[in-house]
Amino acid sequence: MTKQSTSLSEEKAPADQSAVLRPDSLGRFGKFGGKYVPETLMHALSELETAFQALATDLDFQEELDCILKDYVGRESPLYFAERLTEHYKRANGEGPEIYLKREDLNHTGAHKINNAVGQALLAKRLGKERIIAETGAGQHGVATATVCARFGLKCIIYMGAQDMERQALNVFRMKLLGAEVRAVHSGTATLKDATSEAIRDWVTNVETTHYILGSVAGPHPYPMMVREFHAVIGKETRKQALEKWGGKPDVLVACVGGGSNAMGLFHEFVDDKDVRLIGVEAAGFGLDSGKHAATLTKGEVGVLHGAMSYLLQDDDGQIIEPHSISAGLDYPGVGPEHSFLKDIGRAEYYSITDEEALEAFKRLSRLEGIIPALETSHALAYLEKLCPTLPDGTKVVLNCSGRGDKDVHTAIKHLQV
Amino acid sequence: MACNYKTVSLPCVGKVIPIEPLTQNINLNYRSSKSYTKTLSSSVSVEKNPIAGKFGNFGGKFVAEVLMSPLAELEAEFNSVLVDDEFQMEVATALRDYVGRETPLYYAQKLSDHYKNINGEGPDIYIKREDLCHGGSYKMNNVIAQAILAKRMGRKSVITATSAGHHGVAVAAVCAKFSLDCTVVIGTKDMQRKPSNVQLMELFGAQVKPVDGGFQAAASESVREWIGNLEIGYYLSGTAVGPHPIPTMVREFNSVIGKETRKQAIEKWGGVPDVLVACIGTGCNALGLFHEFVGDKNVRMIGVEGGGGGGGHLHSATLARGEVGVYHGAMCYLLQDEEGQVIKTHSVASGMELPGVSPELSFLKDTGRIECYTVTDQEALDAYKRLCLLEGIVPALEASHALAYLEKLCPTLPDGARVVVNCSGTGYNDANTVLSSIPINES
Repeated sequence: MTKQSTSLSEEKAPADQSAVLRPDSLGRFGKFGGKYVPETLMHALSELETAFQALATDLDFQEELDCILKDYVGRESPLYFAERLTEHYKRANGEGPEIYLKREDLNHTGAHKINNAVGQALLAKRLGKERIIAETGAGQHGVATATVCARFGLKCIIYMGAQDMERQALNVFRMKLLGAEVRAVHSGTATLKDATSEAIRDWVTNVETTHYILGSVAGPHPYPMMVREFHAVIGKETRKQALEKWGGKPDVLVACVGGGSNAMGLFHEFVDDKDVRLIGVEAAGFGLDSGKHAATLTKGEVGVLHGAMSYLLQDDDGQIIEPHSISAGLDYPGVGPEHSFLKDIGRAEYYSITDEEALEAFKRLSRLEGIIPALETSHALAYLEKLCPTLPDGTKVVLNCSGRGDKDVHTAIKHLQV
Repeated sequence: MACNYKTVSLPCVGKVIPIEPLTQNINLNYRSSKSYTKTLSSSVSVEKNPIAGKFGNFGGKFVAEVLMSPLAELEAEFNSVLVDDEFQMEVATALRDYVGRETPLYYAQKLSDHYKNINGEGPDIYIKREDLCHGGSYKMNNVIAQAILAKRMGRKSVITATSAGHHGVAVAAVCAKFSLDCTVVIGTKDMQRKPSNVQLMELFGAQVKPVDGGFQAAASESVREWIGNLEIGYYLSGTAVGPHPIPTMVREFNSVIGKETRKQAIEKWGGVPDVLVACIGTGCNALGLFHEFVGDKNVRMIGVEGGGGGGGHLHSATLARGEVGVYHGAMCYLLQDEEGQVIKTHSVASGMELPGVSPELSFLKDTGRIECYTVTDQEALDAYKRLCLLEGIVPALEASHALAYLEKLCPTLPDGARVVVNCSGTGYNDANTVLSSIPINES
C-alpha cells in the first residue's frame, strides 16, 4: 500500500459542510472513502449498495429490524445520569458539567457491535446469502457475528490472527459454542489487520454465496455508510432521551475511536447540529512519541487501507505500522473515512489517551458508578479529566459507554497492581 | 399433612432451638395478587395473613432475640416504602436507567421450531431476558431496591454474604453507585472456585472478608457483623431464604419480572402465559416471575432444580427431595440428614447449590400451586449449548436448568401453548465451566 496522492487531494472542503453528501455517489466523504478494491468485488459492492438503499423504503425490513433491536438486542439502551461521576468533576465552587452515559454496554453481547451485526445479517438474508464471513481481533466482533448467525441460521466463518487466538482462547471457544468456524490467520503479524486481509480474500473468492460482515465504519463503500446507518440508532435514541430528560440536546458528545463505528453511531444524528460538539478519543498506547500507539487521526497520514482512503499509520514506504493499545478494539492502524473527513473540515475534534490514563478511568467508573466500562470506552472516559474543567456549569455531556468491561478485568487488574 | 420438623443449628448464633410443630391446618389464605396497576412502580397488596411472614406453616422469624428488633424495624420501613411514591419512583428510575429495564420478552423462533412435532405443532417459547440486566442477571432488581431502602434508613454501610459471588458482585457495584461502604463475606472454598468474582468486588471498592468454609459460614459471619453494627449497617440479603421480612422483600423487589411479563404478554398475544418455567436455587428469580400470576389459576408454574450428577450422586433438589426444617431463620424445605444437619449439595451451576429454599415456594409446592422437577448437570449443559446454537443467547448454567426441562415439557403441551422461560442470567462467564466439562478429545 503506497502513499496515495490522488487527484482527489485537490478537492477542498466546501464552506457549507452540511451541503456535502456523506458519502457522495462514489462513496466518498470529501476525498476520503471510495472503493479501492479488486475488480471482482465491484459487482458485490454495488449489489450491496443497491440492496441497502432499497431498505430505506422497505417497511417490512424496518419493522423486522426494530423488533430484533427491541426484543433480541434489548434496545433502547438507557441514557443514564452518572451522578457520582458528575460530582467528581465539580469544581471547588460546585460548578461543572453533567455527565450522561449512553448504555451500549447493556446490549445483548455487551457492546454496540450487535446493532450493525443484526442489520447486516438481516440484509444478507434478503440478498439470499447463506454464508457469512467476518474478521475479529480480540473476538468481540467475532462473537457478535457468531451470535447473529446462530439467531438467523447462517453459516459463519470468522478469521482471526493466530496470535490473537492464543491470547483469547475463551472467546474462540464462545464463537464455536455459537456454531461458528474460527480460521487461524498466520500471515503478517497474525493479528487483526491480517485477519481482515484474509477475510477480504475469502470474499473475493466466494462473493456469490457470501456476505462479509465488516465490524466497523472502515472498508470500501458502501460499508462505512451502511455500518454507520445501522449504528445511527444510538444517536437517534439519544436525541429523544435528551429531549425527555432536559428538554434539549447534548452540548458535547464523546466517544472512543478505533475503526470509529460507535462514535459515528452517536455523532451522525447530530452532525448537522452545529451547536453540538463532537469529540473522538483514540488510543495513545504508550504515548504518542513512543511509536507504540493507535492514534491514527493525530499521527497518521492519508493512504488506502482495506479498500478506503483514510488516515492510517504508515511508514515512509507506505507499509502499515503495527499499532498498539491496551484495548484490542482500538488497536487498528486505520480509521473510518468519515472520521477523517470530519476531522479535516473541523466538524469533529480528535484527541488521544494513553493506556495508563485509560486504566485509571476504568477503575474510576467502577468505583464511582458500579459500571465496569470496556477498556475501549475507558479512553473516552479518561478524556473527561481534560475536558470537564473547561466546560461551563451545567453543560450536558453524553459519553458513549460502548461496551462493558468484564472481558477486560483480568488485564486491567494485572496492570493496575503492577 | 404431616410435617416433620427437626432441630437445626441456627447459623447466626450457633444455638439449637427446638421447633414446635405448628398447626396442621394448612390455611389457604395466601393472599390474592390482584392489585397490580399499570406502572412499574406500583405498590403491592398487603399481607393478609395475621401471623407476620408466614406462608401457611412456612416462613416466620426463627432468630435470636437480638435480631427481632432490627427485623421489625426493617419490616416497618419496607411496609412504608411500598406505599411511598418517591421511593417507588427512585427505584423505577434506577431500574430503567441503571439496570436497563424493562427486559424484553423474546419470542425464540428457532427454539420453538426445535420443539415442533412432525405435524408442525408445538408450543411457542418466549424467553424473559433477565440476562440483559446490568450485571448480567436478575439479581440487580433486588439489590438496587434494597440499597435505596438502606439509604432511606440512613445507613452508611452494607454487609452481605455471597456463595459463588454473583450476589456479592451486584452488591459491591450498587454500593459503589450509592457511595455506601460495602463488606462482602465469602467462604474460602467459594473464593477458590470463582476468584474472578472476588476481583470484581474489589474493583468496585468493596471489602472482601473471607471466612473458613462455605456459604453457611459466610452467612453466619455476616449476620454477626450486622449485629455488631446495627446503627449504621444494613444487611442486604440476596436469597429468598431468611427471617421475615426478607423473603417477602426479596420477592417484592423481584416481582417486576412478572409484572412486565404480564404487560408484554398482553401486548404480544392479548393474553396471559400458559406455562411459566424458572430454575430454583433459593427461588428468587422464580418468585419474581411467578408471583404476579399466582392468582391466575390457569397459569401453570414450573420450578426446575439441580439434579446434580443424577442417580445417587450429590444434587441440590431441595423442593423435590428435601424435608421441612428451619434454615437461616425461616421454616422451609431444606436438604438435611437424619440428625437435622444440612447436607452437602452439588450442582454444575453454583447459584443452585444452597440447601434451603424460599418458604413461599415451599408453601406453593405443598399447596400444589407450583410443580417441581429436576434436571441433571449434563442436561443443563446440553441446554446451554442448545440455546447458544439455536438463538445466539448464552444462558447462565442456572437458567439452563429451566431450559433443559423444556425437553420433557414441550412434547406434552398442546399446539400454540405459550411458555415463558425466565433466562435469569447470562452464561458468558460460564464458558470456562462448559469448556472443562467437555472431554479433551472433543474440545
